[in-house]
Amino acid sequence: MTDIVVKTVEELKDAPAEFREAVSKLVISHAINELYGAQVFDEPAIAYAPTPYAKWLTCRVAMEEYGHHVRFKQLGVQIGIPGERMVPGTGKKPLSIFEFPLKTWEEFVAIKLLADLAEILQVEDLLHCTFHPLRNLARATMPEERFHAQFGEDFSAELVKTPDGKARLQAAVDEYYPYLPSFFGGSKSKNNEIFRKWKIKQRTNDEMRQDFVIRATEVAGKYGLTLPEIRQAA
Amino acid sequence: MNRIVALPRKLLDVLRAEVRAASWFAALGEPLTEGDRGDAMAYLAALGFDVLEIGLARDWPDAERLLKAPDWAPAWWDREEALRLTLLAEAEARYPERALWSSLTELTIETGDLVHGKAATAATRMGKAAAASIHVAAGAASQAVYQLALARLAGQPASPFESKFRLYAAGRWPLGVIDSRLILF
Repeated sequence: MTDIVVKTVEELKDAPAEFREAVSKLVISHAINELYGAQVFDEPAIAYAPTPYAKWLTCRVAMEEYGHHVRFKQLGVQIGIPGERMVPGTGKKPLSIFEFPLKTWEEFVAIKLLADLAEILQVEDLLHCTFHPLRNLARATMPEERFHAQFGEDFSAELVKTPDGKARLQAAVDEYYPYLPSFFGGSKSKNNEIFRKWKIKQRTNDEMRQDFVIRATEVAGKYGLTLPEIRQAA
Repeated sequence: MNRIVALPRKLLDVLRAEVRAASWFAALGEPLTEGDRGDAMAYLAALGFDVLEIGLARDWPDAERLLKAPDWAPAWWDREEALRLTLLAEAEARYPERALWSSLTELTIETGDLVHGKAATAATRMGKAAAASIHVAAGAASQAVYQLALARLAGQPASPFESKFRLYAAGRWPLGVIDSRLILF
């Protein structure tokens, strides 16, 4: 009974209540986190960027992150979620990483290198989502998320050219990385169980977290960076 | 005391039409015209710079080299940013904050998609552009539209963001003040 495919927003009205609620939770979560990311990291980073080239590239990244928020919010409105539930400060607790305001360019590069990798994993998991409007949105978002992670790699490559730059980037990685694994949610998440039951998402939080750690270790290693020990998931 | 009024949709619609009609990145590397020089001088004067020379970037690698120079002078960027913050405060005092932010976000996102394609076309036509430079160009152009929207919403017609936009509308990309010269691409 759980093998359903919902191809349009209109069809969602006839889907089981649990399916509809699960889709709403995911859309709200993505809409809020994209906006938090743009407000807390991307937009402030423009001031820290070291050259006009980096500043305008960061402008573009910030716009795309705001754009992701807008796309998820538009989908949310289409499926009947009130707009005010898809902006920060309306009840949903922010991820812990958003409670630490950006202070340096190196922190931003570390966030793009690693936090956007975590975002890629989240979006990847929606690429086969049984609610096709959300699947299609994930597919539209993915190239931009990959570009943001590449941004992190490109500027990491620049920073590690000098011992001082590498040390500052490593310090930023040490500060932010420990907060990232909790991005994937708890090991015994009831929500995740429901997402997988309806094939809205494909993997457990722990599977995604494990994959993230492997991929983050690999990408950090490319630039001679190491990852600190991580906290247990909430 | 300021009175909060509804966001002027017509003003934003007019700006959207100007954005769609602009010749984004169509004249990169071309010889400067009198019109280009006039808009460039107007931009500098409105930003508070004494008369500076106008320079020309020849191609994408030249523009990339100038934009990546670690010893760039940030005065022009800082002046633009200070003005942006002033204009933002003025606009926020006039209009409902959420409506203002939503409109600016929508405008900037729409512009971003348009100018990204235009920058990609220009880069393909001229060749030798780094892939990331297309994103840089789109970021710069979208920022210019955002700045112009703020200036108009704040009721500041003499803002440097008017002449800056005219340069973009004429197919140019103002790269900033480098070595006492305003460089146009």
